[in-house]
Amino acid sequence: MSCRNISMACPREKSRSPFSFIARNRNSQSNSRICFELKFSSAGMVPAAVTTDVASPSRTTSEEKVYDVVLKQAALVKQKKTGRSIHEKKLLEQRTGNISWDLLNKAYDRCGEICAEFAKTFYLGTLLMTPERKRAIWAIYAWCRRTDELVDGPIASHLTPRALDRWEERLAGLFEGHPYDMFDAALSDTVSKFPVDIQPFKHMIQGMRVDLKKSRYKNFDELYLYCYYVAGTVGLMTVPVMGIAPESKSSAESVYNAALALGIANQLTNILRDVGEDARRGRIYLPQDELGQAGLSDDDIFRGKVTEKWRNFISGQIKRARMLFDEAERGIAELNSASRWPVWASLLIYRQILDVIEANDYDNFRKRAFVGRAKKLVFLSVAFGKAVAAK
Amino acid sequence: MLCTGRILAASNSRTPCLPYSVTTTTPFMLSGRYSSGKLKPNLKWRCTASDSDASSFAPSIDSESSASDTNAAGFCIIEGPETVQDFAKMELQEIQDNIRSRRNKIFLQMEEVRRLRIQQRIKSAELGILKEEQETELPNFPSFIPFLPPLNSSNLRLYYASCFSLIAGIMIFGGLLAPTLELKLGLGGTSYADFIRSMHLPMQLSQVDPIVASFSGGAVGVISALMVVEINNVKQQEDKRCKYCLGTGYLACARCSSTGALVLIEPVSTLNGGDQPLSPPKTERCPNCSGAGKVMCPTCLCTGMAMASEHDPRIDPFD
Repeated sequence: MSCRNISMACPREKSRSPFSFIARNRNSQSNSRICFELKFSSAGMVPAAVTTDVASPSRTTSEEKVYDVVLKQAALVKQKKTGRSIHEKKLLEQRTGNISWDLLNKAYDRCGEICAEFAKTFYLGTLLMTPERKRAIWAIYAWCRRTDELVDGPIASHLTPRALDRWEERLAGLFEGHPYDMFDAALSDTVSKFPVDIQPFKHMIQGMRVDLKKSRYKNFDELYLYCYYVAGTVGLMTVPVMGIAPESKSSAESVYNAALALGIANQLTNILRDVGEDARRGRIYLPQDELGQAGLSDDDIFRGKVTEKWRNFISGQIKRARMLFDEAERGIAELNSASRWPVWASLLIYRQILDVIEANDYDNFRKRAFVGRAKKLVFLSVAFGKAVAAK
Repeated sequence: MLCTGRILAASNSRTPCLPYSVTTTTPFMLSGRYSSGKLKPNLKWRCTASDSDASSFAPSIDSESSASDTNAAGFCIIEGPETVQDFAKMELQEIQDNIRSRRNKIFLQMEEVRRLRIQQRIKSAELGILKEEQETELPNFPSFIPFLPPLNSSNLRLYYASCFSLIAGIMIFGGLLAPTLELKLGLGGTSYADFIRSMHLPMQLSQVDPIVASFSGGAVGVISALMVVEINNVKQQEDKRCKYCLGTGYLACARCSSTGALVLIEPVSTLNGGDQPLSPPKTERCPNCSGAGKVMCPTCLCTGMAMASEHDPRIDPFD
């Protein structure tokens, strides 16, 4: 921890941002805004490690936990690079080779359809990737989306903890090469081809469990953990697919941290955009203590009135999200060159949502902040410029 | 019914099928009993047969009640390989009777839900809790033609009016106005003959019969309009489908690649008996899907519908 002098300047985002479309504003926001700002100014968020020798004492428990996961993932990647021999790969492929080639292709196509249907902008982003990566991302997206629908769709009322346990069993099965249905088969094939680890997936299911129980979040720490569960994990899932550039000099850990930052930034953006929608479902993802400090209560949110207090509060939240985006930006350059453009594009477009919220006079109760098509194209070209310039 | 109930209770283990034949006549009589919501305690009615109505039903439920109890307790929306096996031990007639009795139960329970909802509406109106939707308006039908607002019965009159006036206007324009004003709608105010001449095509083409021309033009317009409407219709119907299973309610089983059977691979030694032909590989029923080749779609719970609301019944009990 104290040796965080590594410049976490290389956040790897992209992988997560697209998925933020999946993880909607379900999570809660941090509670102590002031606390958070202090943290930012003194020690900074997880990835923005202080370059001094003074260890960041204000790292909260959630951040610790998440950072541990990130370290493990980074370590695993190195292991997998060296450890997975060709023989092991063949064995794994043989097991998944029970699935007919035809069915696998159909499964991947369906995953692509799902992605196109539910996350159009993200889908457009994936079209900028290589064919193999594209299909892998689709498979991961489809799994995440299905998991998300378990708690969010109409069957949420029938969802028991046991169902989530069963879902986790299926996940373990597909990682071992025994997928249950066709979408699982696509993901199983993906994990056999890319060094994806099971832990982020398990954490995502854990996030669903949390979401079943919680509809309020006491402080930013709880919110951060939730954001990690539903969006940070997506970053960790997709980093192995995007690939770290071989000529990158930064550590895998820093890239993962950047990806984490991007996911969390995306999730916070989601939350800020959907305050009204979530309130109508009885959920408030903004941290309770920060709300209290701003002089706001749950009733103010349910009433949906934009006051000066609200504007100040939201602009503070937006500032935090922007800091995370900045952090994430620094890692994109470390990605594989083919993956930089889509990641940049999704970061820029998603960050724009924050601008739109501001332009809407902070009325996230009624107005849904979205980036228009023309702007999206503009950012697409800007992203291309950035991706190329980074080389 | 009382005696048969007792006899059946006694010989319950041997002939579980018989009780079910009685149930078909009694479900509605039991409605009073059901409204008190006592399905599970049927277990206790096994030998008492205190109520003539109940007894005829009790033995039939009894043999399955223990199974249904565990099923109810163990119900989980995510399917596993063993869930389809739960009823694998029953005979065909038994299964049919089971289905029938369960459908009866579903009907009665939906009836109860309807009545409860009425009460709920009455009570909330009394307490002054506002109801969001007043369903007094006629429902809107989405238009099949793209870019048009949704229709309803009152809107339809407006549609008729605008449609007829458009037709009338075009006919007047084409039949009266254009020839009177000698309108030449070609490029730069040319007539059709001038246009053909300028394109250096044979002059015969300009002598197209007016009736043929109007017929072709009208036909093209009608056919393309119908196509547009049909395509829009298909798109709307597709939107209602569950995107994961594409409306079928099921996904292909990955274990057997939707064939339903797993091929057992046994290594065959070719050292001895090399002249014997290879026997065909043995297959076993796929344990994942129990031979069905497909598994439940967990998103739509086999309804095939896009998840639009929480009120889609899991199955339509009365199809």
